[in-house]
Amino acid sequence: MPDPAVNDLAFSVRGLTKVYATAAGPVHALRGVDLDVRRGETLVLLGPSGSGKSTLLNILGGLDRASDGAAIFQGQDLTRDSDKALTAYRRDSVGFIFQFFNLVPSLTARENVALITELARRPMTPEDALARVGLSDRLDHFPAQLSGGQQQRVAVARAIAKRPQILLCDEPTGSLDSESGVQVLQALRDVSRAEAATTLIVSHNADFAAMADRVIRFRDGAITDIAVNPHPVEPREMRL
Amino acid sequence: MRPAPLDRKLLRDLWRMKWQAAAIALLIACGVSVMVMAFSAQQALARAQERFYADTRFADAFADLRRAPRSRLPALAAIPGVTALDARVTASGLMEVPGLARPALVRLIALPPREGAGLNRISITRGRLPDPASLDEAVALQSFMEAAGVSLGQRLTATLEGRSVSLRIVGAARSPEYVYAPSPQSFMPDDAHQAVLWAPAPAVDRAAGLQGGFNSLALKLAPGASLPRVLQAVDRLTAPYGGRASYGRADQPSHAFLEAELRELSISASILPPVFLLIAAALTHMVITRLVEAEREQIGLFKAFGYGNAQAAAPYVKLAAAIGLVGAAGGGLGGVWLAAAIVEQYRQYFRFPVLDPSFDWPAFGLAASASVAAALAGSALAARRAARLSPAIAMQPPRPAAYRQGLLDRLVPGHAVDAASRMIVRNLERFPGRAVLTTLGLAASLALLVGSQFVFGSLDHVIDQAYYRAQRWSDSIGFAEARSAGALAQVRRLPGVFAAEPVRIVAVRARANGREERTRLTGLAPDARLNRPLDAAGRPLALAGPGVVLSAALARRLGLAAGDRVRLDILDGRAPSVLAPVTGLAEDYSGFAVYMDRGRLNALMADGDLISGAQLQVAPDAHPAFYRALEAAPQILAAASRDETVANWRAVMIEAFRTSMTFYVGFAAAIAFGVAFNTSRIALSERARDLATLRVLGFERRDCAYILLGELLVLGLVALPIGLAGGHLLAAGLVQAYGREELRLPLVLTAESYAVSLAAYVAAIALAALLVGRRIWSLDMVSVLKTRE
Repeated sequence: MPDPAVNDLAFSVRGLTKVYATAAGPVHALRGVDLDVRRGETLVLLGPSGSGKSTLLNILGGLDRASDGAAIFQGQDLTRDSDKALTAYRRDSVGFIFQFFNLVPSLTARENVALITELARRPMTPEDALARVGLSDRLDHFPAQLSGGQQQRVAVARAIAKRPQILLCDEPTGSLDSESGVQVLQALRDVSRAEAATTLIVSHNADFAAMADRVIRFRDGAITDIAVNPHPVEPREMRL
Repeated sequence: MRPAPLDRKLLRDLWRMKWQAAAIALLIACGVSVMVMAFSAQQALARAQERFYADTRFADAFADLRRAPRSRLPALAAIPGVTALDARVTASGLMEVPGLARPALVRLIALPPREGAGLNRISITRGRLPDPASLDEAVALQSFMEAAGVSLGQRLTATLEGRSVSLRIVGAARSPEYVYAPSPQSFMPDDAHQAVLWAPAPAVDRAAGLQGGFNSLALKLAPGASLPRVLQAVDRLTAPYGGRASYGRADQPSHAFLEAELRELSISASILPPVFLLIAAALTHMVITRLVEAEREQIGLFKAFGYGNAQAAAPYVKLAAAIGLVGAAGGGLGGVWLAAAIVEQYRQYFRFPVLDPSFDWPAFGLAASASVAAALAGSALAARRAARLSPAIAMQPPRPAAYRQGLLDRLVPGHAVDAASRMIVRNLERFPGRAVLTTLGLAASLALLVGSQFVFGSLDHVIDQAYYRAQRWSDSIGFAEARSAGALAQVRRLPGVFAAEPVRIVAVRARANGREERTRLTGLAPDARLNRPLDAAGRPLALAGPGVVLSAALARRLGLAAGDRVRLDILDGRAPSVLAPVTGLAEDYSGFAVYMDRGRLNALMADGDLISGAQLQVAPDAHPAFYRALEAAPQILAAASRDETVANWRAVMIEAFRTSMTFYVGFAAAIAFGVAFNTSRIALSERARDLATLRVLGFERRDCAYILLGELLVLGLVALPIGLAGGHLLAAGLVQAYGREELRLPLVLTAESYAVSLAAYVAAIALAALLVGRRIWSLDMVSVLKTRE
């Protein structure tokens, strides 16, 4: 068993359990998951709806709390952190990319990124971040003036502008056509590599496995399989 | 039968939006309750008045005279239009009442020879009528007995027209002439010092020294008879007998006050409810527009299923109607409660045998229809939008809301403003209509607060001006008959008196520009210090030569300005009618008065150097001895104390206003709360997803609260100057609308009234902000990210 204190680990997850109380009785979203994530690694989490992959992502992102177990990030157990500490963790260490982009409609592309750079400790400039996703010519466009793919690339720029250690992506191409999806994934890949960010991508789409260092498969709240991909490909070579 | 699916959806929508709906319904309820309260209270008063006046045969016209023989009665009864006539004897004076420091003013009135005959009959509430043959039994006005603590069987000694009269109180009574019994000094009720007694005619005749004659006349007129013609005829017939101008009910103090109250209720009913309904309509518009926007996919879905345009729009119209109905129902209940409360308050001032709360169904029906109409009008645009939504468009995933660079971006370049502030400003710019409605709603609330709070500052100003700057006496006395100026020396010898100034007061009719007003002509020494008419700037007005100073309100009533001439018909004695130049206008706030140099007045009266009373400064610690001396002075008929008058003013007016102003503050706060709550609740529903995203991205809750509530803060600040200016206008309007002859409130807005208004305004908005803002604490970051808007 790897040592959680080992220096090159981004996350060390032990016995992570999440139980939701529902009217029909308790639902086990995670049943004692163990996982170590190395720094700079790209993981793709696959599995059907309700298999627990998003729940794991939410807990690792400091959005949700576990019912039991530990999720250690740099010696800090996210399952025991205060609300304030989790907010600081999200602000300083994590970049999020969502299925529905979640841009602020009243702010331009540049301002959506600036929203984050205003908070971060050593951010890149919004212009730099947008240049990295190929949107230098859309700085002052509002979300309503951008295509879905462009909006998601703004979201990628927003996520990486703070130079996060962790990038968490929940179905990042789920509401995009395949061409836009590939563009977004490539942008994601480029910037995460440049920043050496640990990247976790949740998806239904098994084709994502090709870009991963490791592929984690979920079913019924548990990890059923961890596959190492010795030759990850560039997204632009993938067919989604 | 189960309701149709769309109706079930409607019920669930209503439940989900219950607090927003409740805030709108609350405003509607306020409007309806004010209207129901005002009309119901008016109906209750009017019914009580009508019934009591009919039962007691309250007269239509009145006349006072010095003394006329009963042989003149047939001529008076023959005046066309007069259907009944009651000639009686009255006597006035002062009365010592055990337990009261100051003597009470007493009026003794002769009872008709037969029980239940005559006009202005009394109704016995306790005890019995005096034995007709008795010379020392009397009944007393019930309100006086209660306030002064006089019990049945108690013996009271009055000094009437210079004679000491002892009477035993055998009954308590109500009278249509004293439904409201104001003090002649302050126009405020002062029941303990307003003694009215009724005794059999022989006893009163003896007290007044008027055997065989009469000095008071009451007339009942035929329906449709001309009051001015009857009054003219009465004046002509009574003039040789010292008749002063006769008057109709409108000038009868009790009736006049009652009518003024009825008028004020009409004003309340017409000012407030429209404001509430307008704001409720605006809020309904905002809330339902937002609901249609949020449910566009559902609407598209219903249409795709085959529901028609009208069916798709109907739930929103029904939702608005439901809010209107709930508000109207709540307002009806609130109105019943308020009407009962105000009628309870009226019972303290208006002494009717029966004063029951009533419920004005037609007024409620009107208010309820107006409420539903307002809510429906508010929903009309949104419902039209729902009806016109094309199913294909409605079911497409929404584009992000379209924003653009606005004024702020042009004014403030680059990064001078943080992103959160930009979001606030762009939201305001994106929904300018909503911003305007919200601002107007908040401004209306503040205006209502400022406009109602001014009363307290104004009352203080009036009291200060009237009783401490213009009239600087501590006590005033009146003689039964005008006496020679030498009487002042006797007055100066009364205990505790260290200053005394003579005054001569006669009844006068002032005429100009075809208008006339009955009032008092007050003769003062030109160098008087204790009573100085003041102009609007508070400067004393000189009384010299043939000129007169008029109350500014009287001048306005007669259409006169300084420099014009006024015709004065002096109604006492045989003085001629004179045309006098108006040399100044006095800002005296209460009643109408004409002031003149006393020497000049005496010259006009041509009856010698006379005084009818004196204004005094009495050492405070000498008051008990001073009052005892007054009771023993047969020639003194009336006495007034400034401190008691002021205390009475404060007690009655401030208390009366405090009740209604408390309601106003509550209503205004309800507006501010309703507007602020709905605006921020809508903002939350629009921005919950943005805010949850920001939380995920590492923003603190307070940053999110700033973005959510900053908009409200901005609008609240923009509304501030508008509301303050509006409040000033409203106060000015209320001053006009509520101005009565007996009290003209000036527009005085003190720092305190502003402070109270602003505090209530801020508190109401803060409460709304708190209720909405706390939802930020429970934003679900996980679920909100998984859903499209």
